[in-house]
Amino acid sequence: MSESQQLIKKEPPKGRGLWKDGARSLRRRKPAMFCFGVLTLYFLLAGFIYLAEFFDWRIGPTLWAEQAGQSYAPPSSKNIFGTDIFGQSVLRKTLYGTKISITVALCASLISITIGVPLGAVAGYFRGFVDEIIVWIYSTLSSVPYILLILAFAVVLRDRTLFGYKLTGITAVYLAIGLTSWVGICRLIRGEVIKHKGREYILAAISYGCNRRRIIFRHLLPNVFHLVIIDFSLRFVAFIHAEVILSFLGLGETERPSWGAMINDARIELSRGVWWQMAAATAAIFFLSLALNIFGDALRDSLDPKLRIQ
Amino acid sequence: MSTYIIRRLLYTIPIVFGVLLLTFVLFTLVGGDISIEIAGKGATQETIDEIREEYGLNKPLFLSWDSQFVNHFKNALTFNFGRARDREPVIDKIKRGLGPSLALTVPIFFGVVIISVSLALVVAFVRGTVWDILAAVICVAGMSIPYLGFILFGQYFLAYKWGLFPVFFSPELTTAQYVALPVLIGIAAGLGRNLRFFRTVMLDEMRNDYVRTAFAKGLTTRRVLFKHVLKNAMIPIITRVVLAIPFLFLGSLLLERFFGIPGLGYLMAEAIGSRDYFVISAMTYISALLFVVFNLITDICYSLVDPRVSLE
Amino acid sequence: MKSVSIIFITALLTTSGCNDSGSVEEPNEMVLHHVLSAKIKGLDPGNMRDVYSVIVASQMFEPLYQYHFLKRPYELVPLLAEDMPQISDDLLTYTIKIKKGVYFQDDPCFGSPRSFGLRSKTAGGSVPNGKGRELKAEDFVFSLKRIANIKYLSQNWSIFDNKIDGLDEFREYTKTRKSEADVDYSRQVQGLTTPDDYTLVIKLKKPWPQLCMALADTSTAPVAKEAVDYYGRDIISHPVGTGPFRLNVWRRGSYIELVRNQAFRGELYPSSGEPGDAEAGYLDDAGKPIPFADRVVWTVIEERQPAWLLFLQGKVDATVIPKDNFDEVMGGTGELTPAMKQRNIHLKTFKDPSTYWLGFNMAPVSTFAESTGVFGKNKPLRRAISYAIDREKFIELFFNNRHLVAHGLIPPVMPSYNPEIKEKGYAQYDPEKAQELLKEAEKIHGGKLPTLKITLPGTNTWYRQYGQLLKRNLSAVGLEVETEYMDRPTYLEKVNTKSIQMFTSGSSASTPDAQDFLAMFYSRYRAPGPNKFNYSNPEFDELYEKAQAMLDGPEKHRLYRKMELIVLEDCPAAFLNHRVAYVLHHDWYKNYKPHAFAYGLSKYRRIDLAKRTAYKKLLKTIK
Repeated sequence: MSESQQLIKKEPPKGRGLWKDGARSLRRRKPAMFCFGVLTLYFLLAGFIYLAEFFDWRIGPTLWAEQAGQSYAPPSSKNIFGTDIFGQSVLRKTLYGTKISITVALCASLISITIGVPLGAVAGYFRGFVDEIIVWIYSTLSSVPYILLILAFAVVLRDRTLFGYKLTGITAVYLAIGLTSWVGICRLIRGEVIKHKGREYILAAISYGCNRRRIIFRHLLPNVFHLVIIDFSLRFVAFIHAEVILSFLGLGETERPSWGAMINDARIELSRGVWWQMAAATAAIFFLSLALNIFGDALRDSLDPKLRIQ
Repeated sequence: MSTYIIRRLLYTIPIVFGVLLLTFVLFTLVGGDISIEIAGKGATQETIDEIREEYGLNKPLFLSWDSQFVNHFKNALTFNFGRARDREPVIDKIKRGLGPSLALTVPIFFGVVIISVSLALVVAFVRGTVWDILAAVICVAGMSIPYLGFILFGQYFLAYKWGLFPVFFSPELTTAQYVALPVLIGIAAGLGRNLRFFRTVMLDEMRNDYVRTAFAKGLTTRRVLFKHVLKNAMIPIITRVVLAIPFLFLGSLLLERFFGIPGLGYLMAEAIGSRDYFVISAMTYISALLFVVFNLITDICYSLVDPRVSLE
Repeated sequence: MKSVSIIFITALLTTSGCNDSGSVEEPNEMVLHHVLSAKIKGLDPGNMRDVYSVIVASQMFEPLYQYHFLKRPYELVPLLAEDMPQISDDLLTYTIKIKKGVYFQDDPCFGSPRSFGLRSKTAGGSVPNGKGRELKAEDFVFSLKRIANIKYLSQNWSIFDNKIDGLDEFREYTKTRKSEADVDYSRQVQGLTTPDDYTLVIKLKKPWPQLCMALADTSTAPVAKEAVDYYGRDIISHPVGTGPFRLNVWRRGSYIELVRNQAFRGELYPSSGEPGDAEAGYLDDAGKPIPFADRVVWTVIEERQPAWLLFLQGKVDATVIPKDNFDEVMGGTGELTPAMKQRNIHLKTFKDPSTYWLGFNMAPVSTFAESTGVFGKNKPLRRAISYAIDREKFIELFFNNRHLVAHGLIPPVMPSYNPEIKEKGYAQYDPEKAQELLKEAEKIHGGKLPTLKITLPGTNTWYRQYGQLLKRNLSAVGLEVETEYMDRPTYLEKVNTKSIQMFTSGSSASTPDAQDFLAMFYSRYRAPGPNKFNYSNPEFDELYEKAQAMLDGPEKHRLYRKMELIVLEDCPAAFLNHRVAYVLHHDWYKNYKPHAFAYGLSKYRRIDLAKRTAYKKLLKTIK
């Protein structure tokens, strides 16, 4: 008996919870951490540009409009990435473009999460009529091809005023992408909520009279939130690529440099042998996407409860 | 089984209705007055009014039996798509564009599916080795390059500089000739993400206990893969593959624009640019119908392949 | 797996068998190969909506008059008319005799009533052709009435609006009808009568000196009533004309092919021209029967690069030089590079009668936009912007220095062009002066100038760079500017509803009379009319109305120049450039003389077949 008492007296191993475990597992993966570093750089750059514009610092990327050389000068020691038709530095334009791309992807992600997560949770939890309506809405939206939907929304939203705020081209793009991309996360959350609803901890909460809002927000959502994070990181890439496509189709940022516009210009520039604008923008997108993909994968592997056992 | 099918078909009706409502709202209410554009540069107000009358744009939007929405709905149901902005019947445009689009998307589709699934199997075979990692790296790299990058690069080097392929569609070329390069580019661009997906599915499947048991029993990797894993991995694979089919009909917007292939993707891009509401709504409607039908087919296939899934 | 591969290969094989090309060419056939850079919208002359459609349709349809191919200054000569019209003393009645023996092409619409049920849906269908009937004066009356028919929704009505006696009343009548087919064309219009089968009498409401020019427009070409009745709406793809060519194949959006009209009455190549024509080889075929070509082919290629490549390969006879290949073609000296000369390619430069500008919306505030009224009362602001734009740099960067700076409104090709306009100095680049004027502008505005917006009718790279250039120029003198890009339909809508501040636009003259340009500043034509600037100047209006009634001549030109100066002084737009086209054509493409206004010139072109075959061998040696 004293043995069993001793066993009971011993502290059970401390559970660290999904997040701490995940973070630890993530930190161990060297490539993923490297990518995280790269991502941080991009984000910091975007943030820096915002600051610089706010405080009107005339440095580096904010000076993209300055004439740095002859029209279409090839890469040289003076301009590492050459110049464009107006003699503007492609390097500066590429750096500036980070702001646009990150903003588009961030806004669109936020919009789609803000719409998708609550709708998914509500649909999954309440089922019944509410569920039917929400499922109907997103089934309709997903029956229409993605690019078409974005295009349609963007064209139609352009130039409208929303709550007194005039929608410029690029804002319409964020909205359009966000409004059409919430379906995926919604479906995901809904599925998970349905699965979790039957679990004991929820049944327990209901039995002690917890109100519904608390159940959803304090119990359910935190347990499915890791999916949101993973989806976010994977979606981000898609949004950046979408900006490129939308630029090509005539939407998107027109006043300032953006990667999409640079690649679009490359179409006619290539036939003159001017390859540097396209190379710079493609490289920028490539490294960002690569970092996001690798990091996103690692994130998923770290946060996946099934894999925690190994 | 048949009750299930009927129930599912009934389910599709609100979806189709939803799509019609969506296209109507987007392009009519929010899209602006197209009659000015149809009338042209020097048109007088009376011509504009006349056009409104002819296209039924002066009717009330919703609340009457003859409203624009009701007409829109009726037309869709009877597949009467009317004439596009340049007076050509929409149905003729669609018929014309279907051929080139399919000539483009079908080879890409087959190419991507066959190559990715095969490679995924190979990768599962050599999992954990350096080849596996290499494959993973290539996939992720491929996914990180923007689609336009593939197109520009391919068009510039393979066609323009090295002259291996025609740069652009020309009516005198045979279909195989002008489709070759875009198909190549389409496959290259699509491989990354598809291979990754299939690889993940395979590997996930291989982590299951029954696989460990099989190996413990002494079965070769080959037998395990083909006899067991493949069949179980089929479900997500089939889902993805079948659901991709409706989109084949829409052609590839980017590839067609760049290479000038006169397919449905090109038609769609143009229609959006010129606010050709008639073409856009017709094509959206058709694609939605196809999507819904193929969803149903997927579910049926699902149940046939996986005995655990019952049709309730 | 295996079955899937089989399907894949089969699919590839079957589709590769599909040959999308047109008819196979006979070795001795003379075929003209052209490229269109946009799709044509339709081949119905009464409703010509875009220039590309006119390019093709004009080879099949003939109006009463045409411009002489070779003579300069540009001169009208009779085509379907027997002679120039007899004009009454009060300048209101025109009597025109029609040529006898002109036939419409053979077509099923002229066939026996029995074949009506078997209406062919495709061009060149399999239904037996009826013999084309002879052209009568009544056909012209029918065509004009058709354009007036409001149910037909013709875009060309604006040419005849309020000009011909009784035609506007006819238009009113058509408003009461239910549909296009419901209109009774036998209803009399007193301004359009035919005393006999070959005489047409047009009575005008007020003098219209440009009537003959209007009658040289393809949209006034006669259309057979049988064709309209037979084809209905499909008439846009079933052209039935009197011209030297007829439609053989039209693959919408990609390819059009015309073949020689066997029933063509015949015409002869002109025997005289302007000095220098003989040396240039334009009179080599004088007096010979035209057309020379058996077939004319257009391929629609919207991108410049592929069209250029086809030209280099010898598959296309002529092309403009794409902006990005300019250096490859032209050496710095303004001459063709050796690579071009090696291929026996010829260059023709050609001043296009066009002007392009940055326009200002001078209307007071509209309900749609914020502060549209900025330009209306602020002349220093408008002039400042004009001085701020470096036109020469613009032309250098965007047009390889080909175009001409627009010192005025009227293009150099026009007879009313003022050769001394440059000295007036309205197009000077003077940023300092611009800044001075801006100070005045601020005073008038009553404070700091708001952010100005430029609206451009396109979203592609070219327009974006154009917008950027304008922005750079204006920011450099201290103005705050933003640009917005939109597709054409939205642009037109905004311009017509006066919801824009500044806009880029341009126009190309369709006749040698500069009236088209000046009409844009006539206050009565405010948006949605052609006066998109919403400009109003009573002095200008008075001169305009006076000029309208004058016959062409030095007196009229003087009036035009006076009006031009008024416009330049008031500056409702900053005029930027006049286009100059650089066209390249191959050695075997004969009788190519650029013409500013005429269409339907394929009948004059001839191919030297020997030289064409020789080119293929030449290409092999060059590679």
